Amino acid sequence: MATLIKSKISNKLSNAATTVSNKSQAKVSGMFARMGFQAATNEEAVGFAACDDLDYDHRQGMQMDIMTNDEMGEGSGEMGLDGVDGDTRYQRDGTGPPPSASKDGDLCKELADDRPKITVWEAGWNVTNAIQGMFVLGLPYAILHGGYLGLFLIIFAAVVCCYTGKILIACLYEENEDGQLVRVRDSYVDIANACCAPRFPALGGHIVNVAQIIELVMTCILYVVVSGNLMYNSFPNMPISQKSWAIMATAALLPCAFLKNLKAVSKFSLLCTMAHFVINILVIAYCLSRARDWAWDKVKFYIDVKKFPISIGIIVFSYTSQIFLPSLEGNMNKPSEFHCMMNWTHISACILKGLFALVAYLTWADATKEVITDNLPSTIRAVVNIFLVAKALLSYPLPFFAAVEVLEKSFFQDGGRAVFPDCYGGDGRLKSWGLSLRCGLVVFTLLMAIYVPHFALLMGLTGSLTGAGLCFLLPSLFHLRLLWRKLLWHHVFFDVAIFVIGGICSISGFIHSMEGLIEAYKYNIHD
Amino acid sequence: MERLGFRTLVSGRVLLCVLGILARSKVLAEQEGENLSGLSTNPDKGIYAVRENGTTCLMVEFAVRFVVPYDVLALNGIDLITEQSYLALPRGAEIEGKCGSTEAEIHISWKNNAYTLRIYFTKEFRDQENEVWKFSKVQFVYDTSETSNFINAYNPGKHTANSHHLSALVTPAGRSYVCQAQQTLTLISTDHQKGVTVAMSDIQIQPFDINSDFIFSEPFKCITDQRERLEETLPLVLGFILCLIIGITLTVYHFHLKLTAQQQPQLPRDRSMYKNM
Repeated sequence: MATLIKSKISNKLSNAATTVSNKSQAKVSGMFARMGFQAATNEEAVGFAACDDLDYDHRQGMQMDIMTNDEMGEGSGEMGLDGVDGDTRYQRDGTGPPPSASKDGDLCKELADDRPKITVWEAGWNVTNAIQGMFVLGLPYAILHGGYLGLFLIIFAAVVCCYTGKILIACLYEENEDGQLVRVRDSYVDIANACCAPRFPALGGHIVNVAQIIELVMTCILYVVVSGNLMYNSFPNMPISQKSWAIMATAALLPCAFLKNLKAVSKFSLLCTMAHFVINILVIAYCLSRARDWAWDKVKFYIDVKKFPISIGIIVFSYTSQIFLPSLEGNMNKPSEFHCMMNWTHISACILKGLFALVAYLTWADATKEVITDNLPSTIRAVVNIFLVAKALLSYPLPFFAAVEVLEKSFFQDGGRAVFPDCYGGDGRLKSWGLSLRCGLVVFTLLMAIYVPHFALLMGLTGSLTGAGLCFLLPSLFHLRLLWRKLLWHHVFFDVAIFVIGGICSISGFIHSMEGLIEAYKYNIHD
Repeated sequence: MERLGFRTLVSGRVLLCVLGILARSKVLAEQEGENLSGLSTNPDKGIYAVRENGTTCLMVEFAVRFVVPYDVLALNGIDLITEQSYLALPRGAEIEGKCGSTEAEIHISWKNNAYTLRIYFTKEFRDQENEVWKFSKVQFVYDTSETSNFINAYNPGKHTANSHHLSALVTPAGRSYVCQAQQTLTLISTDHQKGVTVAMSDIQIQPFDINSDFIFSEPFKCITDQRERLEETLPLVLGFILCLIIGITLTVYHFHLKLTAQQQPQLPRDRSMYKNM
């Protein structure tokens, strides 16, 4: 009897406790919901993920190995939840889709091979390609104007960008009822749409789309411009102008139109990283050979307020890899190794850049030019130039492939969601007009490279808007919005701080680029 | 002699009236120099001619700029600083000249002979058959006491800058030399061996074998202009080749797709493709 009463009382107490906690949680959630933060797990999305898992298993059981390119969005899309836009691939955390166990081996294997997964090393090469770009040549100049603060900024920017990359990927996942993390969103656009979900379902996606396309296409154009410029400076005696070199570079880049998946792109990124290492080794070895003359006393502690913002721009925007991260992580064999890969790539980039910048600055001190290769003696400069051209050409496939993917997802999809029909035929091969569109994109980058004057300044202008936005502002904003419930206070503090710092860098970069552009047009400086 | 000089003067005056252009003429033996700069479309370019026996024997068209270094006393009264003065050949200059079969010269002076530019041409045989003419000597006389260009010159006076071992603007005989790009010569001055830079642009010169009056013979383009022409046409050619390559690639890919299209029925990859079955 006593036990019965005890159990009844304990039940009542526990019920009361749960109701109270539920009510308070509801109050808090309601308050946050009114403020616009996500109050509850996106259970609908998790639900759909579970549905699709069931469906997947069912189809597998029927020995129809349907690729997880399922357009479950067909049914769910109409219901108004626009958190699942475009291709949706559902995976449980830690494992990829189970291997096909069907009798229909050949066809299914062909379907499964459509998108081979990349290893963590290949993802690492891609990220290194993105963060150790051509801007490394301007780092000694940044140290010239920034001193020790510039060095500190290199390290700090690496840490911040690594963190924002990780929180961006964290936005792709949601917890389901079992407490497991499920990947419900697939791309940056999906995250943006999910954030603006209640009031403006597609606005965020459009903004991010536009920003991504601008950033990626500008990066491609920059590589064409740089390779044309480098070749022109390496062979001044030949009657080939910079335009002709740019056209030849584009002819060499035409095979990029045939890129099908990230594995092929990763091979190019690997070669690019190797070329980058060779350049670093050459320059650092030359500087070490002049170690006796190093000007340790010239490294400044104070900053030159007028010139330092330029340094900030060069340092901070060289770590921009966030655009590629969602698709990279989605294509990895083992997404659980993503964090490890991010850490190591950013640490190695940080060390290499810092060492390069410091050593090069110490060798030439006040005579350090804007592009460090101008300081080198002509024999080394010729060799370094050749490797730089190789690096520029090998870096092109990654942003090109990413741009093609973004464009194809937004404009060329079957099912009525997009304006144009699918670029890929029924058997997964690229249609010929899809190929012609890709060639058209390559030619477009060439035409922009030839006819747009002062491209570097224009790139600085767009970079400070889209680059800063996509790398600092948007990840922190989306992280706060989507994962508010789970964030600890120091995470919130980091996110807000990154948002503020990113905003400051963006505004200062924008102002300086505008000033530079206006001056260039006024005095009609020729590149 | 006097009658000859009188006759050329009369014919010169008649020609002036017929052409109706601004000119200043000066009699020098049988030849006279004429300044035809009024005909020039370029405000910096001057046209100078030397005429003999009623016909032009030497014509020079160019725009010349000089960079002349000179010494100025420093503020401490002891050191000498080298300043640079930038001069341009004015259109209204006085011309004197001499023509010959293998040698010719033209003297251009302005500001009351404060500045004089003298260019000497020679014609010679390169190989057995090739006859060429060229600049053999360039001389520039300047007066640093001339205050409009030289400010507070130290030890002002007249200095002469000469060329050494000059062989420039080599052109086949019977043709005129044409160059849009800038040609630079450095002359060594008697003023402490300073280097005077003479930059000539938009050049058309013929010192020998002018067939008709005031009309240049067949032009001979300088190498820089030829290279610029090549540099301009090369991008067009390369662009055309690139378009060809793209077109061929697309056609080959299209036919490759058509020929290797799979015959098996396609299992639908998702529900939207059921309508194709």
